[in-house]
Amino acid sequence: MDERWRLSRRQVLRTMFAAGALTAAEYAWWDEPLISPRRAWGATPVRFQFSVPEPKRNALVESLVQRFNQSQKDFEARVEFVPQAQARQKLITSIAAGSPPDVAQVWDNWVGEFEGMNAVDDLTPRVKDWSGYKDVIPLAWETVTVKGKILSFPWVVTNDGVYWRTDRAKEYGVKPPRDDWTFDDFLAYTKAMTKPDKNQYGFGMRGQGTWAVLYATEFMYANGAQVLKDGKVAINSPQAAEALDWYLDLFRKHKVCPPSVPTDGWRGIVEGFGRGVTNAYIHNSGSSEEQKDFVKPENFATVPLPIGPAKKRVSFYFSETLTGFKAGKNREGAWKFMSWAMEPEPHYMYSKGLGLLPARKSVADRPEFTKDPALAGFIKSFAFSIVSPYLAYAGWGGKLDSEGVPLFQQALVGKLSSKEFLDKFAEVLTKNMS
Amino acid sequence: MAREATLATPLVRPLLSRRARDLLTGYCYLLPVALALGATVLVPILSAIRMSLYNNVLIKPQDYRFIGLGNYARLVHDDVFWLSLWNSFYWVFGSVSLQFLGGFAAALLLHQTFRGRAVVRTLTLLPWIIPGVVVALIWEYLYQPNYGALNDLLVRAGLMTDKVAWLSNPGLAMPAVIATNVWRGVPFFAIMLLAGLQAIPDELYEAARVDGAGVLERFWHITLPMLRPIIVVATATRIIWTFNYADLIFVMTSGGPANATQITSTYTLLQAYSNLDFGYAATLSVVLLLIMLAFTTLYLRITRGVEPVA
Repeated sequence: MDERWRLSRRQVLRTMFAAGALTAAEYAWWDEPLISPRRAWGATPVRFQFSVPEPKRNALVESLVQRFNQSQKDFEARVEFVPQAQARQKLITSIAAGSPPDVAQVWDNWVGEFEGMNAVDDLTPRVKDWSGYKDVIPLAWETVTVKGKILSFPWVVTNDGVYWRTDRAKEYGVKPPRDDWTFDDFLAYTKAMTKPDKNQYGFGMRGQGTWAVLYATEFMYANGAQVLKDGKVAINSPQAAEALDWYLDLFRKHKVCPPSVPTDGWRGIVEGFGRGVTNAYIHNSGSSEEQKDFVKPENFATVPLPIGPAKKRVSFYFSETLTGFKAGKNREGAWKFMSWAMEPEPHYMYSKGLGLLPARKSVADRPEFTKDPALAGFIKSFAFSIVSPYLAYAGWGGKLDSEGVPLFQQALVGKLSSKEFLDKFAEVLTKNMS
Repeated sequence: MAREATLATPLVRPLLSRRARDLLTGYCYLLPVALALGATVLVPILSAIRMSLYNNVLIKPQDYRFIGLGNYARLVHDDVFWLSLWNSFYWVFGSVSLQFLGGFAAALLLHQTFRGRAVVRTLTLLPWIIPGVVVALIWEYLYQPNYGALNDLLVRAGLMTDKVAWLSNPGLAMPAVIATNVWRGVPFFAIMLLAGLQAIPDELYEAARVDGAGVLERFWHITLPMLRPIIVVATATRIIWTFNYADLIFVMTSGGPANATQITSTYTLLQAYSNLDFGYAATLSVVLLLIMLAFTTLYLRITRGVEPVA
């Protein structure tokens, strides 16, 4: 055989290594094959509950967990996936039954409920000693602070902004929204981008789910309204009613929204934009990755919410947290897992994979976040972001959905005036201030 | 010669009479079923009744206490409950009456002899075989006002000019979910009634024909009376199922818009899983149970039960 075709053992090994490295480079971080998953003999298990809104997250979280297990010998995290729609009740029933997971990924608005159940530890002293404490944005800590106590880690954060179609604005010769646009500009944009003959609407308003009420509240704040004033519910103020009228008229009077609005939840508004039915919608940065697949990155951008007549605006800021439980069987393992997930690399990978923003400043300042047009609207909104006022009382959590939303829908379809809705809504909030 | 007297040996008197023994044996056979039913039906019902007497909100364990009929008093003043009860009747009677009519028509058709009858019978069953949640998702997509197939077909056929928001319009949402439920429930009645039709002896129709009875008379005096036990059982069962059936509405509209499709079972679900108010949810369940018991008793009395009419 020709000697030129004969490979030495070293050459074979080098070739195999190079091929492996090239293949691995093609994978997304969370898809990378692990060469030798560590067998954690004797490691104590850490139950980690993760709620799944989309399949992409499964692989990412599985990979995170494996990497945590490889990073140390004492604990072995085991992920338990639950459907997102049932995550809250599953957690609360498991707490009531005395068998919660050690750690869970939960939204910040649930943390107050857990505190009310005396189910979570005060992490304040330990968190303040943690190496990354000062690197986490203070507002992010605020989302997980109840009655002065830090109860969780804010894993990823986000706020609300407006998604809009760059390609269609250009096609229709519509002035693109500016960062300092006003209510009038918003109305002009949505009107100009409504093309009934093409089955296109200027704005995909949300009519179902808790955030239907929250988005409307952001517009009320832009008109000078507040949910709480001097410790009392003040959401039924004239400013709130005026702003709500303006907001609902987008659907009722100006017809710049699709007719499906009263039953459009999160999936409805994201899909409406993704399928090209709507040309703008309000959401957090969490759907930016999906829209990159649906609409393509070059065809959309984000911009802050418009400035209202009171010359102000707010964007509700919230976090997806990592929360450990008092009744968990492995509290030390839970702490290790949470603090590891907040380390720069896993923190970066999780945030980037989801389109949410990192809670750590050093990670959030990376160009992958600051230079991404799909995230620009959210980053620019940090300056006027506030923690959702509905986090003030744990008792408001479920009531927003079960009583607030049906009332909001009645206002949306004209069965109640804005003022009537706000009066009834204020009654619900006042009754549940606990 | 003296005859030897034969003495009768007295029989040992059993501890229990024969009747009592028979009864006891019967009850012993019934015991496993009674225990199983008790554990799976009676205990949960009693537990729900007990829970309804407590303030039991999972997120407020410190407020857990006995409140007697407090939840029932709250229910009396709960406008959404009364609306949901009204919606439940609309939903149940709208669904079941149309399912029955459609199912009867289908059963009469499938009872005829024609080519491909076996295939048609199998196809008729399809909506019943598909799980409720899948049916809800399919119809939700069909009704979608922006890109759903129904609007598109109606507009193309020239039957409509503007697209209709079937599930988002409070006036149309309930008829739309009822239509979906009718589509799903027609096969149930079709199969039940078809089985009944096949059991009616042909001699009855032949005799009636000889006596000069027309089609309508044969239907009225033979088919309907002979099917009566099946009709009573099928409609009663279906009414109870539909009253408790929350999946379809929960997936399609979540009880909205503006509570237009909120029925008592979805409202119970909302109280249990959104508000985590298990005390109030249990109260709603108990009231639902009482309504269904009252209805079933009344229904069976009006229709004179399932025994054939003499």
